[in-house]
Amino acid sequence: MGRSDEELVEACQSGEASAFDILVARWEDRIRGAAYRFLGSDEEARDVAQEAFLRAYQAIGSFKREARFSSWLYQIATNLCRDRLRRRKTRATVSLEALEEGGPVMVETRPGAHERLLERDLARAVRRAVDALPEEQREVVILKEYQELTFLEIAQALDVPVSTVKTRLYRGLGQLRLRLEREGVRGAAPVPAPAR
Amino acid sequence: MDCERHEDEGLRDGMMDVLYGEADSAVRARVEAHLAGCPACREEMAALRALRRDLVAWRRPPARPSFTPRGVVLPRWLAAAALLLLGFGATLGATGYVSLRRAVAAQQARAAELERQHRETVRALEAARQSRPGAVDAQALLASLDARVDERLRENESRQGERLRQTLANWEERAEAQRRVDMARVAASLSYLDGRHGQQLARTNELMGYVLASQKR
Repeated sequence: MGRSDEELVEACQSGEASAFDILVARWEDRIRGAAYRFLGSDEEARDVAQEAFLRAYQAIGSFKREARFSSWLYQIATNLCRDRLRRRKTRATVSLEALEEGGPVMVETRPGAHERLLERDLARAVRRAVDALPEEQREVVILKEYQELTFLEIAQALDVPVSTVKTRLYRGLGQLRLRLEREGVRGAAPVPAPAR
Repeated sequence: MDCERHEDEGLRDGMMDVLYGEADSAVRARVEAHLAGCPACREEMAALRALRRDLVAWRRPPARPSFTPRGVVLPRWLAAAALLLLGFGATLGATGYVSLRRAVAAQQARAAELERQHRETVRALEAARQSRPGAVDAQALLASLDARVDERLRENESRQGERLRQTLANWEERAEAQRRVDMARVAASLSYLDGRHGQQLARTNELMGYVLASQKR
């Protein structure tokens, strides 16, 4: 049985640098996954994950174990992604992945090709819909739906109350339903009148 | 469409808890009781569940080389160059091998020719002896000739062996020289990689160095 995050953090704080390697190996992929969904570029996601771990390593001595290590890490990564997104607003960039997704669809003739094309269309529609969400809702949707954090972990990562997380998620899901329904995506049911 | 959910944030939060499997029994009971009497909320919950199934469609692409530098990842152009160098080396090796085989074959042919001449001489002497059975020193003459021919053959084999060794040594020297050239080219390519494509790694190392230095302080 491996050591828990808390034990590894404690070991790091006691000077056992190799314990941090285990934390990196444990969380790197998930942090990159979250950054990828925030930024839409795997290249940038890798940079963000790298920087997040470096910052975590620098600050691990002062990390108070009130919140979970993972929440703290997500907080660092989320802030880095926010910075990058803000910079993008002044310097418009298009990721290779985005170009790829907007590119021509290859004709497939293998069995099940129709289903795969539908699946790909759905994936693109979902991505566009998530990308179009306001930042606060998008963050919560990504951390909940794709990173599977608990409401408490998201609240710690974003430094907001749990109820705020749930409200943002509820509104974000409502927006997604609207957008996907507008695109005629399967499963999107009619949306009831907006709350308040 | 109007129901208490719109005014009751607790109920709405409870619906989120139920939707994501984080509700305790009390919250679940409250939400289920509300859903039982509110078709609009039942419909919304069903729609949100369907939406969650759709959201799964957006998958992340396969991971690429990651934060921890677990090995050197060559760009495609360098991999192609390495393959080219390997191919060149293999060609050189094959050429050297063919040359060597030719030299061996030539030596074998020369040895076979000498052997043939020796046999002809022996046959001629034997025929001469049989035609003059009275000759006294025919056996001695044949033995002497045999010895001389054997000596010539040994000398020839020795010379050919020396040439073969020399050829082999030259070939090994050339192969070694080519190997050094190849290694130098690969080293130059890797230096180029360090300069151009390894910037990220260098940056990481620099930052890690800074981190370690700051930790020591």
